[in-house]
Amino acid sequence: MKPKLMMLLAISLQVSLPGADRLEPSPDGDFVDEVWGKVGELSCLKCHNSSGEAEDSRFILRETVLLGGAELQTAQNANFKAFFKMARMRKEGQLPRLLLKPIGKLNHEGEQVLKPDSTGHAILKAFVHRMEGKSVPESTAEKYKPRSFFEGVTMIGNESLLRRLTLSLTGRLPTPKERQAIKEKELAGLDATLDQLMTEDAFYGRLKEGFNDIFLTDGYDGNGELILSYNHFDKTRHWYQKHDFSHIENKRERQEALWDMARVYRKAIRGEPLELIAHVVRKDRPFTEIMTADYMMVSPYSARGYGIFEQVKDRFENPEDPFEYVPTKLPALKARNGKVQESKTGFYPHAGLFSMFHYLRRYPTTETNRNRLRARMYYQHFLGINIMELADQVADAAAIDTKYETPWMEAADCVVCHRTIDPVAGLFQDFYNEEGHYGQRKDGWFEDMFVPGLEGENLPKEEKWRSLQWLASRTAKDPRFAVAMTEHVWYLLSGRIALRPPQDIEDPLFTPRRRAYSMQRREIAEVAKRFAQANFNLKLVFKELAKSPFYRADGLKAVVEHPHRKAELHDLGVTRLLAPEQLERKIEALFGKRWGKVAKEMKILYGGINSQSVTERLPEPSGAMGAIQRIMANEVSCLHVTPDFAREPPKRRLFPHIEKDVVPGSNPANDLKIRKTIVHLRGHLLDRHEPIEHPEVERTFKLFADVVAEAQKRKGIDKRDTYFCGRIDGKRIEDPHYTLRGWRTVVTYLLRQPEFLYE
Amino acid sequence: MRRDFIKFCGKAGLGLAVPVSWPNLLQGKAKEPDAYEGPYYVTFNASGGWDTTYLMDPKGVNGINRLYKEGDILTHGKHVFAPTAKQVGKGMSNEDFFKAYGNELLVLNGLDYSINNHSPCKRYMATGKLDSLAYPTFAALAAACRGPETPLAFLTFGNYSATGNLVPMARIPYLPSLKLIANADSVQGVARNLYHDDFALDLIEKALSEQAESAPMAHPQLPRAERAQSMLYAAQTNSKALKRVTPYISNNIPKERLAKQAEIALSCFKGGVCVSANLSIGQFDSHATNDPDQMRLIPEFLAGIDYLIKRAEELKIRDKLVVVIQSEMGRTPHYNKGDGKDHWSVGSIMFMGKGIRGNRVVGETDERQFLVPIENKTLAIDEEKGIRTRPEHIHRALRELAGIENHAFSKKFPLKIPEGERLQSLFG
Repeated sequence: MKPKLMMLLAISLQVSLPGADRLEPSPDGDFVDEVWGKVGELSCLKCHNSSGEAEDSRFILRETVLLGGAELQTAQNANFKAFFKMARMRKEGQLPRLLLKPIGKLNHEGEQVLKPDSTGHAILKAFVHRMEGKSVPESTAEKYKPRSFFEGVTMIGNESLLRRLTLSLTGRLPTPKERQAIKEKELAGLDATLDQLMTEDAFYGRLKEGFNDIFLTDGYDGNGELILSYNHFDKTRHWYQKHDFSHIENKRERQEALWDMARVYRKAIRGEPLELIAHVVRKDRPFTEIMTADYMMVSPYSARGYGIFEQVKDRFENPEDPFEYVPTKLPALKARNGKVQESKTGFYPHAGLFSMFHYLRRYPTTETNRNRLRARMYYQHFLGINIMELADQVADAAAIDTKYETPWMEAADCVVCHRTIDPVAGLFQDFYNEEGHYGQRKDGWFEDMFVPGLEGENLPKEEKWRSLQWLASRTAKDPRFAVAMTEHVWYLLSGRIALRPPQDIEDPLFTPRRRAYSMQRREIAEVAKRFAQANFNLKLVFKELAKSPFYRADGLKAVVEHPHRKAELHDLGVTRLLAPEQLERKIEALFGKRWGKVAKEMKILYGGINSQSVTERLPEPSGAMGAIQRIMANEVSCLHVTPDFAREPPKRRLFPHIEKDVVPGSNPANDLKIRKTIVHLRGHLLDRHEPIEHPEVERTFKLFADVVAEAQKRKGIDKRDTYFCGRIDGKRIEDPHYTLRGWRTVVTYLLRQPEFLYE
Repeated sequence: MRRDFIKFCGKAGLGLAVPVSWPNLLQGKAKEPDAYEGPYYVTFNASGGWDTTYLMDPKGVNGINRLYKEGDILTHGKHVFAPTAKQVGKGMSNEDFFKAYGNELLVLNGLDYSINNHSPCKRYMATGKLDSLAYPTFAALAAACRGPETPLAFLTFGNYSATGNLVPMARIPYLPSLKLIANADSVQGVARNLYHDDFALDLIEKALSEQAESAPMAHPQLPRAERAQSMLYAAQTNSKALKRVTPYISNNIPKERLAKQAEIALSCFKGGVCVSANLSIGQFDSHATNDPDQMRLIPEFLAGIDYLIKRAEELKIRDKLVVVIQSEMGRTPHYNKGDGKDHWSVGSIMFMGKGIRGNRVVGETDERQFLVPIENKTLAIDEEKGIRTRPEHIHRALRELAGIENHAFSKKFPLKIPEGERLQSLFG
């Protein structure tokens, strides 16, 4: 684990050096793809960089993933020079240093990083041979020559992009004004539209939903008010139990009113962390405030739980609204024994999410875990580093455990990671319990751990009372924060995490996969840079990513055959299976009413999450989800087709220009009307805007015509619409030509298309 | 036309589930896939890290166990196990478990999990690969190789469940959920109340299959979009087979955690709509109170296995089950400063079912619970030249057992074990 962690920690701290070295020979494709891409970057750079563990060595390498153009060339030249020098350094009778050091010889401090018979070592051998002018067997495979990354990739049309964004972020279709703006100003008009979009309440609903997918704070254990400790909130946390319901005469109704109030209170308090995120974005505050906020969000109900309602009640527009939130500070906590929490301000030392009991309860600690889970989540959530993502194998972990009393401080395999994790864990020491409550460890913080701090900087004694604020202030200055938040928004927009660097150098598609990673990484880094420059306004990230070719990539000009090119493009484009909540919002946007099932009883079945035991959304449909799609298509068309015809034409969403007496094959004018209706339906439901002669329009027409014709052929077909789908005000509607039922098959067919079910 | 369509399906990317049988599609009639008839692969996960010394690798010495002494250790056939009958409140004791299943059970002691963090260990145990996030679990791989067209090919109830993009994973949280979706074309699932007349339904399916066939040729798509289209089509078409499960949905829904999962999995197996299932219960991470925790959970775990086997017997599919029983780590050979035990990177795994010769114990740990190497051919102890058995060795053997070691999907995710380390005849 150690080198990988160190690389991750170091990666964004690299700076490019000015000037280019003059080198002979110079790096060629083999060096860049093989020596650097498969060995240098993966195995050497972790320590051999200007701030790494081997910074004092004579073999210093430079990060290249985020570089382009002349900067990249300069860095590659420098790396080549370093490798070239090591390939030539050798004592008489010995192999070059480049071949001995990585296998653990010549007192290599990083010990063995490559096995002697490994692919990586073979690559270095070939490099040494080439540099010595010896011939190296060439691969017989035809070399893939990469072209411009987006060459041949088509982008989504601007109007479709707008529709995707309004549906994704606010669950509605674009307004005519918004459509006009994008038509006139093209992408240049998108920012203003998004600015407007990001003032809507629906956007904040989506924002909270998206960030809950990441932080999962909705999933903390137990009832909402359990974040409030008995020791500090014993008199207020169950305030609702004393609420006066005496005006309700019926005992049972009184009891139900109490339960309702408890339910609402619990929901209100549970929502506070996500409300903080929404508040920061809504008010255009720097997004670093999700860590640095010296306040928390409370609603009239949750404020009562904290015992501060009287202090804040005048700040609510409606003090009876359980879900109106305002920022406020808690006073320093006072325990039941009268002891008051240490605080130099008199207030609880708020540090955004870090200090929220909800977050702390969601990621609890134990006597042996010692807050390390919280440290791990800190790195994952706020710096974008998943420490557990990859792990290095050790020869005998059990032996290490036994050899050392405190292996995390003594064994090299453990120390390198714990040296980073444990100090952060120590910063959470004031919350030493599983409940997420304020409270220190009885015996004081562990002395057999690296002291509290952050990446080499120890927590000053005088800052101990506000250790999480201290952590937040440093994290806000860390360039990795901006990258991590950009990745979070990418996840929210695309439904999948940003690409990770490929690790398997024996994968024949390693090089194109590395290129795909590198290209996306540069885009994310660039957006992150602008995000930081814009005082961490998160709205900028949405706007920048929405315009990014990675978000807009939508198709190909020609079929791609080369496996390398296919691997480069493998992750490109959004093509996201709509989550249950998104699907419901889309149905509402297009039909005017939610279906109401897929985000409720079918939520987990349809790949949704509960933020607790099920925390990852399913990206691909199983057969169970395929069945739900069929149910949805059947039922939504059942609910809407006949009622749509029953409305006045201008009020119809689906069939504004046709009536049920228009029968296919009766005359050309009627067929034209039907085709135009199909064009409308395909545009409305699938965002496909095709001419009437388009093959898909024809296929849909044929479906409609065949259904109607088949019905006319069959005996015993009812002339009325069905009992379940064809009633208005309880009365079955006449359907003498079977057209209502025919249109229902058409809508069912369309709702089962990927254009409807995917984003 | 046929060649083009096969090309289209081939484009689906990293080896996706081929939708349905070609002839039916080419005739414009998407027919539901044939029932999958076994073998069925079940992985039981004791999530959090079990204490193997309270199950199949007893010690009773060096302060490793407080609940029994070395002399209390019991045997059944070749099996040696910790006595737990006196400790069991609810669930199944070791005594009952080994008595019932010892003759079918293969135990491997001395498995090197290599590290001792939950997340990477779970991944390693599930996939056989420690340093990659891309590899599928064995259950997912088996599903993809053996029955990709089955609608719920890989069913999971938690734990690490990556699929390697080979097959979709399915979650069925409750047994009644199956009823809800089994008749998707009927109002409220009542078979006689169709949303559409049967001929209209047929025509919808025909149009969808023709559309799926022509779409990629109409406009070239990005690999993700191609793959999504194919996956979607397969999911919807294959889902029709779910109605086969209906007769096997029991009205007696068990209350126990594992039994509930087992019941769902078995209904799906019996209905021919599932190849593999990943069953899991948590809370084994007994840092605070090891003995009470393990004595509560191990019997619950064993009872879950017992339920699966007995119910499979009732459903007449017991002989088609392949069962893997595992955890992501073991517990230390000593108690911590409290009454708990922390993570230990050495443990055990158990197997039973089709193709597995039982009443066998392979490998061992010493009196301090350290791994003792084994010789890969004879599987005998060989402290000098033996290998440390690791998850990749187990997975290689499992792939061989399932007959999928040379499948293209397996080759896509190689385990790279030197021939001299391949466990030979592990399953007898």
